[in-house]
Amino acid sequence: MKYKISKIFSNIILIIWFLFVAFPLYWTFITSFKRPLDVYQGPKYFPFIDFKPFFMAWIDLFTRDRAQILAPFMNSIIIATISAFLAVAIGLMASYSLSRFRFTWCFLSNKNIAFWIISQRFFPPIAIVIPVLILFRIVNLLDTRTGMIIVYTAFNLPFAIWLMKDFIEAIPKDIEEAAIVDGCSRLQALLRVVIPLAYPGLITSFLFCFVMAWNEFLFALILTFQKAQTIPLVIAGQSTQRGIEWWNISVLAIITILPALLITIIIQKKLVSGLTFGAIK
Amino acid sequence: MVYRKIEEKYIFILPAVLILAAFGLFPAVASLILSFTNFSLAQVGEKLNFVGLANYLKLFSDTRFIFSMKNTIIYVILGVGFQYIIGMFLAMLLYEETKINKFYRVAFLIPMMLTPVAIGYMWRMMFHGTYGPINHLLSLINLPVIPWLSSVRIALLSIMLVDFWQWTPFFILALLAGRMSISKEYYDAAVVDGANTVQTFAYITFPILLPVSLTVILIRAIETAKIVDIIYVMTGGGPGVATESLTLYGYISGVKLFNLGYASSIAYTILVAVVVLGFIFLRLKERFE
Repeated sequence: MKYKISKIFSNIILIIWFLFVAFPLYWTFITSFKRPLDVYQGPKYFPFIDFKPFFMAWIDLFTRDRAQILAPFMNSIIIATISAFLAVAIGLMASYSLSRFRFTWCFLSNKNIAFWIISQRFFPPIAIVIPVLILFRIVNLLDTRTGMIIVYTAFNLPFAIWLMKDFIEAIPKDIEEAAIVDGCSRLQALLRVVIPLAYPGLITSFLFCFVMAWNEFLFALILTFQKAQTIPLVIAGQSTQRGIEWWNISVLAIITILPALLITIIIQKKLVSGLTFGAIK
Repeated sequence: MVYRKIEEKYIFILPAVLILAAFGLFPAVASLILSFTNFSLAQVGEKLNFVGLANYLKLFSDTRFIFSMKNTIIYVILGVGFQYIIGMFLAMLLYEETKINKFYRVAFLIPMMLTPVAIGYMWRMMFHGTYGPINHLLSLINLPVIPWLSSVRIALLSIMLVDFWQWTPFFILALLAGRMSISKEYYDAAVVDGANTVQTFAYITFPILLPVSLTVILIRAIETAKIVDIIYVMTGGGPGVATESLTLYGYISGVKLFNLGYASSIAYTILVAVVVLGFIFLRLKERFE
């Protein structure tokens, strides 16, 4: 009997939490199908019952607002994709080096190097971004995709290295060593043996870095103005431009969180490990 | 062969080290230098004008700085603390391997990786006084309407609520993973000894999860110390400066008020705090491995 009560109690709590998690997402979703009148008449909760859903905001997105949204959207895709790819490529080499070789020079042990790499991620972005702003201004990288790609590659490297270290350490050394005995160079061994075996790990790391770059706001806010603006900046700029045109903002929010949402579900098993630098597996 | 191996290991790690040095180490040092100057963005190319500790001394008398520091500390201690407690509670409820729990485990982790600026907007709609659903629902059950974002006291809590929405999943996930790795034998033995739920939690689960707990708390504390996105979108730091965080104030004084030297000194206070937390994290990580 006591068991049953605690069971019911726990189910109720979980349902409440589920509603808490889901409601803002649900609200944004239905708001994207509302017309101005449906918003201004006060909250309406159920499509088809409370209000008739319209695709107005969605159509606006692909017609009237297309020019305004498309460029930042493409910027976000390009910057996030390339920077995530670079972080994984450069990170793979570094994590391979850290897990296969021993560094002993001075205080450069493997552990110290690995710690130094994580410590980079702890630096507050605001301390990093001011010198980068000055640097980019001097070398003309402000408001360019190239500049943002470089910054996000650096920003994601510690995550990429730590995520991939796990995957590489899981691959037995023997296979590569056999390949090297057969005359492969280290690089060839990495390309032909390690990459095919660590493939799932590389994809996970790529997706993780992609989301981090996709979501990033402060660097983009300070280092871009117009040409290289990313999608989070467009959202942040909505309040001043449009007041509460919530149907449009909802559409924008949905297309922004959608890639992140899908990727989160795909890589769920590695999320915690990634966010804690492998401290929790 | 041995000689080649030595060379290769450095070549493999070199690109990463160079990038991190250029976009981690160099900016960190440059920020420190800037924090002793009164450099502004208009002066690029000119000589640095050193002002000694003036920026840091100014921080002590800058009430806006002290206020944003206080806010940030509240976000870190209250926010993360609350996320941990609720996260732990929900992880324990989710432990049983039922069908519905498997669904919840996926559903609950969703907020974690969603774009913070978009989340800020979603919640702004939710909190809106006239058109938002939350106040409407409150009035339906005859509860008083709450000025979520316009009241000086409540706005801070509203921001924390959104951060809570986004990051409690992280605690749920991490603590659930930790709970699942605890051997069932401990619990069987406890049941034989007649321990109740609260006792098994206090004497078995909690102590075993302590390392994991400290790790996730520190990671979140470090990240929360840099909080800015949600605040920027939801309140812009307002009303007044009631919700302004250190990073937001650093941004405003550097980019809006053009005083990069002063902004750097603000940034460095965050950096020092974060480095201390980070150092503790690394030591802990080392100990648990």
